[in-house]
Amino acid sequence: MIYLLTSNILQISPEGIIDRYPNSYNHFVLPFVIGISFILVYLFIGLVRILYHLTGEDRIKLLKSLFKPKTAWKNIKDIFCDCLLHTKIWKRKPLLGYMHSAIAFGWFLLIVVGHIEVWLFAPRHLSGLTEGSLYYPIFYRFFIWINPAHETLRGSVFFFIMDFLLLYVLSGIGLAMFKRVRSIALGMRHTTKPSLADRVALYSLWLIFPLRLLAEGFTADLSGGGFLTRPLNWVFRAFFGNELNFLPTWWAYSICLGLFFLAMPFSRYMHILTEPLLILMRNAGLKVRKPRKGFAEAEIYACSSCGLCLDACPMNVQKKNLKYSSVYFIRFLRRHNKRKTREIADKCLMCGKCYALCPVGVNSPAIRRALRETQNNNIKCDYSYLEDASSKSSATLAGKAGGKILYFAGCMSHLTPVIIKSVETILKASGQDYEFMDRNEGICCGRPLMLAGRTEAAQKTIQANSRIIRESGCTTLLVSCPICLKIFKEEYSLNGIEVIHYTQLVDRLIKEGKLKVSKSSSAIVYHDPCELGRGCGIYEEPRNVLSSVAELKKASKERDESICCGYSMGTLTLDEKDKAKIAESSVTSLMAENPDEIVTACPMCYRAIRSKAEVPVKDFAEIVCENIEK
Amino acid sequence: MKNNILVIGGGPAGLEASAVLSRMGYNVILAEKEKRLGGHLAKWDRLFPDQTPAKEVLDGLLDGIKDVKCFTETDVNSINLLDRSFNAMLSNGITILADAVLLASGFDMFKAEKKEEYGYGIYDGVMTNADMEQVFREGKTFSPAPKAIGFVHCVGSRDEKAGNPACSKVCCATAVKQAIETKELYPEANVYCFYMDLRMFGRHYEDLYLRAQKAGIRFIRGRVSEVAETSEGRLLVKAEDTLSSRPVKVTLDRLVLMAGMRPSEAGHKVGRQLNLSVEEDGFFSSRDGFLSLQKSKLPGLFYAGACTGPKTLPDTFHEARSAAMEIDRYIKENFRK
Repeated sequence: MIYLLTSNILQISPEGIIDRYPNSYNHFVLPFVIGISFILVYLFIGLVRILYHLTGEDRIKLLKSLFKPKTAWKNIKDIFCDCLLHTKIWKRKPLLGYMHSAIAFGWFLLIVVGHIEVWLFAPRHLSGLTEGSLYYPIFYRFFIWINPAHETLRGSVFFFIMDFLLLYVLSGIGLAMFKRVRSIALGMRHTTKPSLADRVALYSLWLIFPLRLLAEGFTADLSGGGFLTRPLNWVFRAFFGNELNFLPTWWAYSICLGLFFLAMPFSRYMHILTEPLLILMRNAGLKVRKPRKGFAEAEIYACSSCGLCLDACPMNVQKKNLKYSSVYFIRFLRRHNKRKTREIADKCLMCGKCYALCPVGVNSPAIRRALRETQNNNIKCDYSYLEDASSKSSATLAGKAGGKILYFAGCMSHLTPVIIKSVETILKASGQDYEFMDRNEGICCGRPLMLAGRTEAAQKTIQANSRIIRESGCTTLLVSCPICLKIFKEEYSLNGIEVIHYTQLVDRLIKEGKLKVSKSSSAIVYHDPCELGRGCGIYEEPRNVLSSVAELKKASKERDESICCGYSMGTLTLDEKDKAKIAESSVTSLMAENPDEIVTACPMCYRAIRSKAEVPVKDFAEIVCENIEK
Repeated sequence: MKNNILVIGGGPAGLEASAVLSRMGYNVILAEKEKRLGGHLAKWDRLFPDQTPAKEVLDGLLDGIKDVKCFTETDVNSINLLDRSFNAMLSNGITILADAVLLASGFDMFKAEKKEEYGYGIYDGVMTNADMEQVFREGKTFSPAPKAIGFVHCVGSRDEKAGNPACSKVCCATAVKQAIETKELYPEANVYCFYMDLRMFGRHYEDLYLRAQKAGIRFIRGRVSEVAETSEGRLLVKAEDTLSSRPVKVTLDRLVLMAGMRPSEAGHKVGRQLNLSVEEDGFFSSRDGFLSLQKSKLPGLFYAGACTGPKTLPDTFHEARSAAMEIDRYIKENFRK
């Protein structure tokens, strides 16, 4: 009947492709058109808002980066790998990676190949909005009739590809459904609780592709189809006998698409559209300045709420503390819930594991710090004494360390005297000329203030210390505390003075033959301190050295997955009992292979682990000292 | 027939309770893990508040246990509650069927090396209260004579970070006593006490404090923050004087850490086998805090002394005697009808 009604306006294209509808329009496309228009407008406004809240300097930086060939290439590569292929998830959890890439990359290809198909066979419909270019490629199979006698090889290839891609996406959707029921099968112990918008978007996303299969199955005898849709069509015809029921299916398909796009901005699925922007901004070198605006907003909306950070967060040893994980932090930020975000921001250990393991790379520790800054930067204290202390130290040290190593122990090493003693022994044994910057008194490196969001106060200690270091004339600044190391590397400008952690120095001394060590029979395990590993990327040097002084065993979680010792400077409000629980879980991970001793390279970790471990705990320098060849 | 009573722990509480029970006519078996009876008392030189020699008190205790079967260097390998009695296997191979058990496992000293910032085990000049008593007991002297000595109160007590928020009760008085004794030995030396607040709650304790002040001991209200070694091998101690709100720095020759009381590990081993409950501080929990202080949740198992929390010696003796009375009542009610 439809053919009769429309036969007078059938248009014949070169390959026997005929538009079945006048103006290629049917009311069922409306839900989709409304949805897609809404999301496009929303995206545009969101983009403008984010760009508006960037500082002028950042905006120029972003713009310039787009035209630098190196960054541009990195942008393309990152967008392809992170947004479509999800290589980061693949590396850690292959099945989960397959699920994500099947949905993202599969859907992306469906859209691209679909458009190519239209461009090849019905190019007129891509030429403008009046020709339906907004929806036509999506519902292409509905609008055409292909004369079976005119089917070409080229057309059949497309039928095959499109069906194959649909199958690919459907396999991902199937896994996603399975994951909702049993997340552990895909390698996730904890998953997030979806909000209402998440549910709407999620269920419509689940339905989109099965409905597409149904809809294209119903029309396969008219539009043609591949190995999935055509057999489906035979089955349907055998059961239903006519084609009258296919319009409701196309309606359902369009409604699901529309619903998905309408729910998207209020759901986790906004990450699909925000992540590319985040990649561009990150590659341009932008930093979080405000906790909810500008770059941070891109980070917040790029969070896919996948919950991988729940398994990463050291707080997860206690179920009650799971609420402090990044995923909930970001969710409350999105909802502008000030009370909860503040509580979570202050509670966090700032160990950075969520950031290291985040498939999107949302830097939530930076956002937390920015949020702390809005509250704590205004606390006024009198730091005038710093200038005196700085001048005094400068006067005694000036020029003395010319060409030598300057050792800065820092507050925490002073509270753990075994570290200082061992570092000095190593320096003497290897014939290094050095000066001790803070033997009797010193100024804090500023990192704890920085972590607490007290940026201005931190800058004051940074200035005071910088002066002493620069005037000492040293060429190398040696630190024994990773907390100091991080801020010396990131915030100090020291005119080319090398900042080095003692694990790096010892590694170098051994390689240069200046320090000789012997190997003991003791089996040890190394705990990666957060600030040293994830913070400064130092994983290899301590392991090189330790494997030459003892037998190095593995922890169940190590390197960038290492579990924080719980006593991080980063937390402002976590209480002792919760810290102790985290310390216990860190020790449990370290004891996986029953080592005789635990070794770490951070005074905080040393103290924390010692309070919980049943085997001896040693500092890196201490165990090196024990094995120096005399 | 005499009822068997097993006393676990041969410190002041175990010894005093054994003596009373044995006078009551019970067959008392005492198991002590160490070579010598007396627990921490045997390692002490003089006792506060009046500097009574610890040996005098210990000898008095030992006099009372002539009829007690004492097994030293003996652990309780396993213990379980049968129908009404306890079956204990000792490490010396002896099995005991006891109608009642008194747990007097006492306390362990807090391991001072856990407070890394004080450098115990790293700097030669840093020692604990127990080390100091040993020096006194053996009559040793420091040479050359120290010019300055410091005492740090509350090491591992009232310290949440060290895992023990509770007060250990005896360290303030011990520190003041040891400070006086040190000053007597080295009248020229400057003696400092770094305290949070002085808890001189017992009879004559305040007199001891006044004596210390008259002897010229300097009391600095504030915790020691860190200890470093000077190039001459002396100790540079940094603290805050919270009365004058100023940081203080003193160079000392010796630093004595007043290590607090922690639950005994050997006691926990017994407790785990009997499923005895411990409170948050790690010490055993009595059936209630007022009327059944010596009773555990198990019928026939009683507590005395520091196994239920830090106590002074007089308190420990009171507990030992009342535990003996509770045991006597329990046996009469349950085994002699």
